[in-house]
Amino acid sequence: MRRLLVPIALLVAASALAQPYTPPPPGLKAPPPSTASALAGGEALFVEKCGMCHRRMGMGTVLLARRGTPDTAELEKRKDLTADYIVQAARSGIGNMPRISRGEVNDVQLGAIASYLVHGAVR
Amino acid sequence: MPPSPSAAAVGRALKAFARVVGADHVFADQADREAYSDHFALDEARHAPAAAIAPATVEEVRAIVRLANEHKVPLWPISRGKNFGYGGAAPVLKGSIVLDLSRMKKIEVDAANGTVLVEPGVGFFDLYDHLQANKIPLWLSVPGNSWGSVAGNALDRGVGYTSYGDHNARICGLEAVLPDGDLVRTGMGAMAGSPTWQLYKPGFGPSWDTMFAQSNFGIVTKLGLWLMPEPESMLGFDFEFDKPDDLGWTVDVLAGLRREGIIQQSPSIGNWLRSAAVLTTRQEWTTKPGALDESVVTAIRKRFNIGWWSVQTRFYGPIEITEATAKVVRKAFDGHTPLSIKPARWVRGDKPEGSPMTGVPVTFPLANANWHGGRGGHVGYSPVLPARGDLAMAQFRRTYARYNEFGMDYHASFAMGERSLTNVNQVLFDKDNAEMVGRVDRFFRALVADAAAERYGEYRTHIEYMDLVAATYDFNDHALLRLNQRVKDALDPNGIIAPGKSGIWPARYREQKA
Repeated sequence: MRRLLVPIALLVAASALAQPYTPPPPGLKAPPPSTASALAGGEALFVEKCGMCHRRMGMGTVLLARRGTPDTAELEKRKDLTADYIVQAARSGIGNMPRISRGEVNDVQLGAIASYLVHGAVR
Repeated sequence: MPPSPSAAAVGRALKAFARVVGADHVFADQADREAYSDHFALDEARHAPAAAIAPATVEEVRAIVRLANEHKVPLWPISRGKNFGYGGAAPVLKGSIVLDLSRMKKIEVDAANGTVLVEPGVGFFDLYDHLQANKIPLWLSVPGNSWGSVAGNALDRGVGYTSYGDHNARICGLEAVLPDGDLVRTGMGAMAGSPTWQLYKPGFGPSWDTMFAQSNFGIVTKLGLWLMPEPESMLGFDFEFDKPDDLGWTVDVLAGLRREGIIQQSPSIGNWLRSAAVLTTRQEWTTKPGALDESVVTAIRKRFNIGWWSVQTRFYGPIEITEATAKVVRKAFDGHTPLSIKPARWVRGDKPEGSPMTGVPVTFPLANANWHGGRGGHVGYSPVLPARGDLAMAQFRRTYARYNEFGMDYHASFAMGERSLTNVNQVLFDKDNAEMVGRVDRFFRALVADAAAERYGEYRTHIEYMDLVAATYDFNDHALLRLNQRVKDALDPNGIIAPGKSGIWPARYREQKA
């Protein structure tokens, strides 16, 4: 599996953009997002349901990086997350993270994602 | 706003819906209502739904629609509910039941013909993943925040950055459930089993695809879309411009290149806040209230090494053609002095370029919603004007003065269509600052009135402002709205599909509004 994440420094170095009709950061040269198809279990669900924001070039990664230390921006590398906290964050939203509905990620799926983030992938 | 449906009617309908989709796919507690509200809205409660239900098949959608007629409860269909800045998953009418189609995720790609048929739940990342995993050499066109649905975005007239960026124009054939539960396929899909459903748009007789865009005349359950064959090359330029006044001549140069078809995508001329709002928060620059002053603008430009305006152009195709295009585009800027011109180049075989310019989905642009820190909100104001430099400058000056008057930070772009210019303003605010929230509402209404005075209308708007914007389309005492209402009443006599969408209210709600 490709381990994500353009360094945040690269994003910051690139003069970025915004929203509808806006261009990407000039000069950004990066591999495309890793895809979910080859994965399984909580990891595959994390990539499918959360990866767009919490992996490379994701809104969540950028926001966490600029809010705290870049080292903790990437959820998959964190050691301080608990399953309860992850479920709470997803269902209640945090700051700019919208609440994730049960239609989008059901309780069983969210449990598997939380388990993956806390314990890592089951191989 | 008309009254919400009664709790009793909603309760009875939900019981009936549960028999169709299963109780596991009926979401009706307080947390569910909040989850389907608009996280980025000025006031979430004004548009909170009563519940949500999530069917998995078109037959389930048809059954729900029939039951909604029986129980006379309004449904608000969403694809993935990520229409951020325009309402997210939330309905216009408070107390509507969200019809969440995100479980419908079938993808059928015709690689040879460069087309795809998607269900509403297919997101840009899902389709990207599918093309990558199956090594299909087709490129997506993605919006700046690509979290949403391919079908939903095209139906709401979203845009992207490649020459396939006018997503609605690339639709070829739909399947839709009508408000009485009937099922129709448009274009060549009207012939059962036709191999040209995704190849020829009009079909025979009247063509109905556009009827389902930004409308409440049906629920689209399948959408055909043309995709760009991976080109041999992508070349282009990144331009920076030093002064606000550079907008005028830049629009005139780019408009000519667009009209002639030299540039086939939609270059977007955006200001300095685009970079700053994605990568930093306001308090890093200033703690002063009111619009950012010149010293801050200068500091932002210096730190990111950008102009007052920036624009990227891109050309796609065989290298002989893109190189020739680059020469023509460069020559068109002769006699003008951009602050900087940087060439961009990707040729097949190079490492992936990795941005929306090559159809790669991203979400980080939405980090700009956090510009004020805390719980950021944003709302889009996007009038369409002629592609003329003098008119763009007048629009800029008028709007910039309004930002200053209301103490908001200027955040805008001018996107070149083939014949028009869309002035996309993403108004960023702090949801926890009640005074600012009130100010943004007055600011937005002033902007819409200013545009209407020039006879410019918005191309798309937030659920809170759909009546406001619809009212500006006023030829012959709002004849278009009357037509929309007549169609709505004929197709949907019980008014169950998305009451209030695009200002179109069914008869029974119009009576309650009056």
